[in-house]
Amino acid sequence: MTTNSGKRQIPCRDGLWTNPTSPGEKPQLIGSQCLHCGEIFFPVNPVCINCQSQSMKEIRLSRRGKIWSYSTIMLPPPQWYKGPVPFDLGYVELPEGVRIWTRLLGAEPGTFKVGQEVELDIDVMQVDKEGNEILGFGFVPVRE
Amino acid sequence: MREVAIAGVGLVKFGRYDGQKGRPYREIYELGAEAITKALKYADMEWKEIQVAYGASMFGGLGVPNQCTSRIGMPGIPITTLEGACSSSQQAFRQAYYDVANGLYDVALAFGTEKIPPGLIADTLAPVWMLMMGFNLPGMYAIETRRYMEESGATEEDFAWVAVMERKNAIMNPNAFWYQAPELTIEEVLNSREVATPIRFLMACANADGASAAIVCSKEKLKSKSRMVTVVASSHATASYGYDNLGIKIREKGNPTCTELACKQVWEASGYGPEDMDVIQLYEAMAPSFLWDAEQCGFCKPGEAAKLVREGYFEINGKKPANTDGGLLGRGHPTGATGLAQVIELFLQLREEAGPRQVPGAKIGFCHCSGGGPNGVCHILKR
Repeated sequence: MTTNSGKRQIPCRDGLWTNPTSPGEKPQLIGSQCLHCGEIFFPVNPVCINCQSQSMKEIRLSRRGKIWSYSTIMLPPPQWYKGPVPFDLGYVELPEGVRIWTRLLGAEPGTFKVGQEVELDIDVMQVDKEGNEILGFGFVPVRE
Repeated sequence: MREVAIAGVGLVKFGRYDGQKGRPYREIYELGAEAITKALKYADMEWKEIQVAYGASMFGGLGVPNQCTSRIGMPGIPITTLEGACSSSQQAFRQAYYDVANGLYDVALAFGTEKIPPGLIADTLAPVWMLMMGFNLPGMYAIETRRYMEESGATEEDFAWVAVMERKNAIMNPNAFWYQAPELTIEEVLNSREVATPIRFLMACANADGASAAIVCSKEKLKSKSRMVTVVASSHATASYGYDNLGIKIREKGNPTCTELACKQVWEASGYGPEDMDVIQLYEAMAPSFLWDAEQCGFCKPGEAAKLVREGYFEINGKKPANTDGGLLGRGHPTGATGLAQVIELFLQLREEAGPRQVPGAKIGFCHCSGGGPNGVCHILKR
């Protein structure tokens, strides 16, 4: 993906979420569903962690879920993290019954609540040495 | 399997050997070698009597256990490096125990050594994309803690009580990071700075440097059988389906945690139960996990641990003395050396060599160590 400024946008890891191809379409996390036992995993995995079947299909996960737990991180994580501190990390439970480790974004750090409804968002996490924007995913409060 | 005794133990005081602020500078392998020579001296054994060794380190890097042993002698024996995150050296102890129990060797050495800087540490428990998104271990503990609070009703003040209790014990332990430090107050803990909410600085163990070693052997190889301490049972389990590799319950299923699995195995194998233990060591890199570990290990019902801590149940003069050496919070946490330090404290307690922190008449004890993976490792020792 190339932005108006000419910089390339690169996901922190390929295959974690879908890239919208038409206006109005929104990104979704990509998971794996086991064709044998039906269990769902994120991120994509070639083997079912429940029954070890290798018959897996890729599925798009729900964009919305509820915060299962969270923490506001007050110290900078070493080496790889370039974002602001403090910031929030947590697990979001999707309607599929899967809990996803994620950043919590779009609100003042420390203001999230267990059970709060949140939805997927993609943002620029850092800029690499070549000036490329590195994208990551997170969940932001649902504002109706 | 035959009976296995602990012949000797050695600890290098958990602290900082970084050469900063007037502190001594010592290499990681010097710490490990010192712990081993202390264990040899305790056991009254020669280096050449050791037939197999398991050395642990979590952050040390390439070949650290061999660097330690090569400072003592080149014995030609198998020396296996073992890494199991924070449970590394208790896993090393388990391997040494099994080798002797199964009759493969008569005398085996286990040791752990570590040097780690203060603050959050880069690790390999998560892929790079998660590290870029801010993954860190205290944060994972904190997320687990928030969930425990939701489900059990535990409060930050409950965690402060754990920190205060463990500091009291550490003050009396010459090998602890917080030896002779002032006692803590609930207010101090609750006013210390936040690390990852709801965890505060004084609810978290200190990263530390240090080393631990133990020699196990068949009864025949013991130099002295007075107050002999034997290993009654040993277990090691990893998480079952429904937990991720960080130990977080990512499916609402009724499967056991690695701690529950490891405990079930060790209770069944030993024929003993939590009610039989005179002294216990629980794993708590962060104060809240003392509470859920006490519950998962079977020392109380779910949601009951916080109340028992406040009643003094786990204090040295309480009904179930726990973490008598200060635990991770008070002893400090040189990750690769920690698991064996728990075994060593049990050993000293059962030998009645724990000085001012001695549990009078302790004859049987239990320890539990956790490590990312997630791993649960348990041992029961008896005099």
